[in-house]
Amino acid sequence: MSSENITQAEIDAIFPKVAAMMADALGCDVEKIKPNASLINDLGAESIDFLDIVFRLERGFKVKIPRGKIVEEARGNLSESEFESGGVLSGAGAARLKVFLSEVPADRFKIPLKSADIPRLFTTETFCKLVIRQQRAAAKPA
Amino acid sequence: MNDPKLNDAGLAGGVAIVTGGSRGIGRAIVEILAASGMEVIFTYRDNAAAASEVLTANLGKKISAEKVDVRDAAACAAFVEKIVERTDKIDLLVNNAGIIRDHLLPMLEDDDIKAVLDTNVTGTFNMTRAVAPHMISRRRGKIVNVSSVSGEKGGRGQTNYAASKGAINAFTKSLAVELAPRGITVNAVAPGVIETEMSRPVRELAGDQVTSRILLKRIGRPEDVANAVWFLSSKFADYITGEILHVDGGFKMD
Repeated sequence: MSSENITQAEIDAIFPKVAAMMADALGCDVEKIKPNASLINDLGAESIDFLDIVFRLERGFKVKIPRGKIVEEARGNLSESEFESGGVLSGAGAARLKVFLSEVPADRFKIPLKSADIPRLFTTETFCKLVIRQQRAAAKPA
Repeated sequence: MNDPKLNDAGLAGGVAIVTGGSRGIGRAIVEILAASGMEVIFTYRDNAAAASEVLTANLGKKISAEKVDVRDAAACAAFVEKIVERTDKIDLLVNNAGIIRDHLLPMLEDDDIKAVLDTNVTGTFNMTRAVAPHMISRRRGKIVNVSSVSGEKGGRGQTNYAASKGAINAFTKSLAVELAPRGITVNAVAPGVIETEMSRPVRELAGDQVTSRILLKRIGRPEDVANAVWFLSSKFADYITGEILHVDGGFKMD
């Protein structure tokens, strides 16, 4: 589940395609889709846009992305109660999330961090990594 | 109709899915959409003979039939994927498939409740979940749900059916809110008593009594409902969403 072994070269390889799909989904110029752009804060994405982005990635990369996959993977081996309580991430949960979302600039993690605000952290690279992980999972022998 | 704009409903060349299209209201919807130049793919559950009759009666029109049980989410998803692979788009979804199992509440068997809710409600969810992502991506599309006057007006022996249609009305309004940002409209038609196989028992049991309560003093025809679906599917309804259009001759007003 760790993303640390995803290389920048892997991300760079799929970034143009991911960016093009995001631009289509968000109805903006592809030049606006920077690697570390926050989808919500910088690109104005709404929940329906996330749905469209995931749908396009699934079709474009022939992968399946289950709902809530990013947060589920971010949680790793922490239990739900270890990760968050009352809608707020625990210290361990926030630390785990920072490692998992290593592409997100550190100053964007405002502590205390609400679970509902996690999607605000997602960047274009977050979705590149998601695709790479799903591609790897699909390639693994059953 | 001298204005050429009025002769173009914006339907020609579009692709439509109609669930439960082999008989009754569904068939009338299939036929009017195909007559307007749409390619129509309709589903049926088990009456292959009726489905085939629709095709034979409409030779030369772009109509095809697929056996799909709308209660099966995976079957709906596979059906939609197959269409999109071929046509690359779905412009219209008409959720029409529905069944009726009328009994007074104490007489309802578990299966009477489950079958009606599964087909009428879950079936609508299943097909819409399969189609909506494609419409969202294209930023266009129309969804028309076939509800019933029973969704608002109480009817003896119809708790299961009425609950299912009330759910469709609520579903229609909420989905209209969700999909409006992408320019997709979601509406419903609510037929009253219509001359179909499904309503035959009611009409036989209390036809005169029912007719006397309809303001326009006649039972509706499947075409009456299909006309309303056609309107909500057309460009003339581009600015209408979240509406429940009653097609009941004023029955609801009684």
